[in-house]
Amino acid sequence: MTSKENPTRLDRAGTWKGIRLMLPLAAFTVAFGLAFGVAAVHQGLADWEAMLMSLFVFAAPSQFAALELWHTPLPLLALAAITLAIHTRHMLMSAALYPWLKPLPRRQQFAMVILLTDSNWAMALGEYHRGERNLGVLLGGGIALWSAWVVGTAIGLVFGGGITEPERFGLDVIMLCFLLMIVVGGKPRAIMAVPWLAAAISALMAYWWLPPYLHVMVGALTGGVIAVLLPGRWFRETGS
Amino acid sequence: MSSLQVWQSLLAISLMALIAYGSRVLGLLIMATVPLSPLVRRFVDAMSSSVLIAVITPMIVHGDGGARLAAVAAGAVAIGLRSPLVSIAVGITCAASWRWWFS
Repeated sequence: MTSKENPTRLDRAGTWKGIRLMLPLAAFTVAFGLAFGVAAVHQGLADWEAMLMSLFVFAAPSQFAALELWHTPLPLLALAAITLAIHTRHMLMSAALYPWLKPLPRRQQFAMVILLTDSNWAMALGEYHRGERNLGVLLGGGIALWSAWVVGTAIGLVFGGGITEPERFGLDVIMLCFLLMIVVGGKPRAIMAVPWLAAAISALMAYWWLPPYLHVMVGALTGGVIAVLLPGRWFRETGS
Repeated sequence: MSSLQVWQSLLAISLMALIAYGSRVLGLLIMATVPLSPLVRRFVDAMSSSVLIAVITPMIVHGDGGARLAAVAAGAVAIGLRSPLVSIAVGITCAASWRWWFS
């Protein structure tokens, strides 16, 4: 709205600012990458598989969820469906950034979201609301997180191979704890307990009685449908 | 690892990468044409967290005591302290000590 006097920009100074702002979180991301590397080794992935994933998929929840399905032959359809369900979130995030990206040529818009992920999105949107118009903040944040994730994965792959009995050290629960933390750690509204409970119950029943891997899709769709069926006023947004 | 397996896993990773990037771009494309309605937002929002719930529920229900304790502890820490790393560390510690004492 104030873009007339303060237009969308993209330059090196902004990118550095983004990198600096994300550095504290990038330190944690190294640790998450490490956790992923260890979990991947434990799950029987080749080093190059885990590394390619971290380099190009760059999304912790999908990568951890994929580990769970990584058995030969790979269930490609289930993998694609789960990745899609997890990533619809990023669709909403890039949609929220659209007003900021709008003045750019389409090719640059697409380039700006390559490294879009939860943390740098939240940080960049916060900066945007505070009047920042330099897209380098988003890009720099992405660069910091991506590098940290890749470095962390590499360390985890090297270090994880040396552990012969991961269960004894509780390393097999990394995946579980990580996914759980993503779900409940994001300050969810209390009402979300209803769709989540429905998702948990339906997923469990599908796990028992339907062909393998369908439980994830069943749970995801049930959660979404239940949320839509509940009265809209229960979901009143408090923030952004 | 046979070459078929290699190709299969390359295909799987490309699929994941394509979907991951595609959804980031799709948000922009949709906004360029029609803004998303609140109902669609709510569906997508609930679905993208429910998918994670659906992945972890069988892991908890069919896991050993260590995994269950880890889930409860890590969940409580994530809600109470809002510290992701502490939450995972507590989960690992719980699972490891459970198995140390009971198996």
